[in-house]
Amino acid sequence: MPEVVVSIGPQHPALKEPVNFKVIADGEKIVRLELDLSYNHRGIEKAAEQRNFIRVLPLLERVCGICSHSHATVFSKGIEEIMGLSIPPRAQYIRTIIAELERMHSHLLWLGVAAHVIGFNTLFMWTWRDREAVQDTLEEMSGNRVHYGMNEIGGVRRDLTPAQVEAALARLPVLEERIKKYVEMVNSEETMLIRFRDVGKMSREEALKYGAVGPTARASGVDYDVRRDDPYLAYAEVPWNVITDTHGDVYGRTRVRVGELWESTQIVRYCLENLPAGPIRVDAPKTAPKGEILSRYEAPRGELAHFIRTNGTDKVERVDIRTPTLANWTSVAVCLVNQNIADIPVIVAAIDPCLSCTSRLTVVNRVDKVGR
Amino acid sequence: MSVLREMLENFLSRPITILYPKEKIPIPDAFRGRVAITDDKCIGCSKCSLVCPAQVITMIDGPREVEFKGKTLARKKRPQVKLYKCIRCALCERHCPTGAIYLKNELSSSGTDGEVVIT
Repeated sequence: MPEVVVSIGPQHPALKEPVNFKVIADGEKIVRLELDLSYNHRGIEKAAEQRNFIRVLPLLERVCGICSHSHATVFSKGIEEIMGLSIPPRAQYIRTIIAELERMHSHLLWLGVAAHVIGFNTLFMWTWRDREAVQDTLEEMSGNRVHYGMNEIGGVRRDLTPAQVEAALARLPVLEERIKKYVEMVNSEETMLIRFRDVGKMSREEALKYGAVGPTARASGVDYDVRRDDPYLAYAEVPWNVITDTHGDVYGRTRVRVGELWESTQIVRYCLENLPAGPIRVDAPKTAPKGEILSRYEAPRGELAHFIRTNGTDKVERVDIRTPTLANWTSVAVCLVNQNIADIPVIVAAIDPCLSCTSRLTVVNRVDKVGR
Repeated sequence: MSVLREMLENFLSRPITILYPKEKIPIPDAFRGRVAITDDKCIGCSKCSLVCPAQVITMIDGPREVEFKGKTLARKKRPQVKLYKCIRCALCERHCPTGAIYLKNELSSSGTDGEVVIT
């Protein structure tokens, strides 16, 4: 049968964000995928070069609506390291609590979206209902449900009051019960098993070869998590486990995310119960010395990296953002080969893509210094 | 079977949605809502204007005498905020030395008119 090109997007009713897939199919089977990104380039990296360290954080939070705390934390962490600042333990714990709550809401959102794309809208409603409890906790602590604005260079902006800690701890048992039910459901519910098992398979070697990160890589047996392998914030002090799986398919990715949901509740519980007393920030200098740093962070979708270069002023000379979705796109092209066209939505959704975040621009200057 | 049990439990429980606007969810104390300015506390230092990431705070003429740390200061400027361009990050509140500019815990309506201001 001749190969057929099925073009999806950039503007398509099924897509939430603009992207262009050219699926080359032989009958119902996918032969290969051609991907066209960057329909939503916003110039955030260039805008970041114009703002000082106070004004740049709200901008970087807006790289992503789901992992807003991740971007602000990874940037603050990098600048603090260049400045040589030591952050108070209470601030580290508060940052960890917000980071793990963010992971919980991101994974619950993903579970709902994955259920939605396989037509299991009942689960979509349930997970999004439970996500409200996480969102409410974040709102009580930070004042907003999306852009928390907790970070500043040198610590955090807001302290947690005993009432906020108590309210968060009171919500946790309900969430833990719900997550236990999701673990059971993911492992036993036929609707999900039929659509997730052996779909979008990727071996450990392929995951390493194509640079997959986060739950996508861990579901293929890659035992790597920045929180454990390059500890930051309070992760070195908190007891928790890296969740891995060997299935390598969408089922494995679901198991990893649901497992991480449970681990996040335990990290949040530990941090809330053992919140150290003391200051929540130190005074940071207005300018950062000349330096370069690659700051890494385990965002809900995987490893997030900010390359930051400072030049002795109160602004960055360059910030280069590598989001986890950008690292995972190549693995999608691999996973889709020999799969059915009907499985495209669920395989794409399995990496939890955030398309606007991936819209980065790289300018390669091919003219060298002598102008050749 | 877990799904069927869950569906039955949900069928017998009350809905979690509310009848907005008749019913309203409680807004937390820390909620970052509409920006507000207490004019008699403002010393006109311009810090809010300098830290605003959306650049919606401009300093306009507002001469008056203000008490600050036991001294009487002759203020020249006061802030003016473009309400619908404010991103409610609360950096102004964080950096204000007197607590004159702050975010109320009440929702602000949304709008497209960038010239609506609060002083």
